Amino acid sequence: MATLNESRASEAAAAPATASAGGEAVHTPRRTNRARSSSGRRRWLGLVYLAPALLIYACVVLLPAGQGVNLSFYHWDGITAATWAGVENYTDFFTDPTLRQAVGHTLFFIVFFSFLPVVLGMTSAALTARKDTRGAGVYRWIIFLPQVLTPAVVAVVWKQIYAPDGPLNSVLSAFGLGGLTRGWLGDFAWALPALGLAGTWGAFGLCMVLFAAGAQNIPNELYDAARMDGAGPLREFFTVTLPGLRGQLAVALTLTLLGAIRVFDIVWLTTKGGPGTSTITPSVVLYKRAFSNPDVGAACAIGVVLAVVALIVSLAVVKLSEGDD
Amino acid sequence: MISTREKVFNYAFLTLLAAAVLFPVIWTLGVAVSPEITGSVDLGHMRWSNFADAWQQAGLTQYLKSSLIITGTAVAISTALAILSGYAFGVLGVVGEKLLFPLLLFGIMIPLEAIVVPMYYDFQSQGLTDTYQGIILAHVGTGVSFGAFWMRAAFRTVPSSIGESAQVDGAGTWTALWRIYLPISRPAIVTFVLLNFMWTWNDYFLSLILVSDPAHQPMTLGLGAFSGRYLVHVNLLAAAAVLISVPVVGLYVFCQRQFIRGMLSGAVKG
Repeated sequence: MATLNESRASEAAAAPATASAGGEAVHTPRRTNRARSSSGRRRWLGLVYLAPALLIYACVVLLPAGQGVNLSFYHWDGITAATWAGVENYTDFFTDPTLRQAVGHTLFFIVFFSFLPVVLGMTSAALTARKDTRGAGVYRWIIFLPQVLTPAVVAVVWKQIYAPDGPLNSVLSAFGLGGLTRGWLGDFAWALPALGLAGTWGAFGLCMVLFAAGAQNIPNELYDAARMDGAGPLREFFTVTLPGLRGQLAVALTLTLLGAIRVFDIVWLTTKGGPGTSTITPSVVLYKRAFSNPDVGAACAIGVVLAVVALIVSLAVVKLSEGDD
Repeated sequence: MISTREKVFNYAFLTLLAAAVLFPVIWTLGVAVSPEITGSVDLGHMRWSNFADAWQQAGLTQYLKSSLIITGTAVAISTALAILSGYAFGVLGVVGEKLLFPLLLFGIMIPLEAIVVPMYYDFQSQGLTDTYQGIILAHVGTGVSFGAFWMRAAFRTVPSSIGESAQVDGAGTWTALWRIYLPISRPAIVTFVLLNFMWTWNDYFLSLILVSDPAHQPMTLGLGAFSGRYLVHVNLLAAAAVLISVPVVGLYVFCQRQFIRGMLSGAVKG
């Protein structure tokens, strides 16, 4: 039984990839039997099958990950000898104004890249799911489309949409709001929310389609029972729909939160963190520190912190979604 | 059961959402065939030659070649490794599995940002930066974890009785993999290939760091360079953007179900 529990635990740890993969939930004890009946030779053979993947993984992921942690305690310009820095690269998160600003932007982006898409997606799914819509497949195809679009393309397109003579300003002028027009991404106050909205646009469809799929699986009886109890649409949502979508909520939150703390492509391809540092994110700081006027240790420290935060977020969301069971 | 009013609201709401999602897409398509370099849409004078001009001015032939080499090779190797490692974990069992499997899963959770800087310096010292081999290796390495995890789950759904019957027949593990496990798991493999293709084709960050030589850069970086030029012809930029999106969107047209199901299962790479 120990093996079974072990494999459960490791699967919980991998929850970003499993949380909604329903099939994974069925664990039969056959593996234990098989492991016992099959000779050790079979398991050594398994190691042979695994070896190529493991070797590449060790070189490309594990080794750099270790080196990254190590380097994060040094100052290094990429060429001359590294000097010991202690935790200085980490205290930068509190003392370095650019990095502090980047962290602040991350919190801001969490609202636009995660909370807004999740809330909007949940609302939209609750309003439209379970209604037997004709052409639901077409709507789903469209709403999910941003997920497969090349992020570099999306960034370039939004850059043009927000351009001084771009379509957003044309629309505003057409509605007599010409006074509001501006070069959105060149504006210190507006660049960040403008990019945030692009992020909401990008993540919304994933959330909605995810929740809509989950809502289809909530048994009708639960809704009937809630109706019998005289629940209105709002109470029905909170007592039936929301609890029924806990697994999907976990997946949506994990994916969008991880996206929010890692924002790079759209910022780099539109504003490069500017104007000034008004749209800078930790990933952009990491890139700049690593490659322009290199301070490699500082860049690695940002990477390590991002990894730790990502890990905490994944585990926390899994814990929350498992709740009381 | 559902009132007409509810139905009308339902469609109106969905249409509104779809319109909001499609606006940037339609606008891009419109600009891509318009004659104005400022990016105003003029469908009265469609200019299809924009695509050829954009292709030529952005130098997309070389970028396409790189994208095809990188994506094709990386996806092929990733798929082979995913099958082998998934078979090892899901069917054969592995010595030290209790340690090795969590170790491999660590790769799903750790963001690329945490490894990419040391990776760059490692690659540089091995002469792998600015090469196809380097970027392919990076794609394969960062995709190993998800691949092992995905194919393990797929192979585990194969009833053990089927696998055991093959053993009774005296089939070796290699034969069993080819004759039994691969054919049964084809849908999972197809989804894996599609997702992997999309991730590799769409990648920008990894290529930006590991490949600074334009002759080896993929199309995403070509687009970035094209959009960063001093004088941007917005209509040509839009045309280039459309061209780069076509392969993945094209696959999405035909394999909507696999894409959506795969990504809804929370699939992430590095």
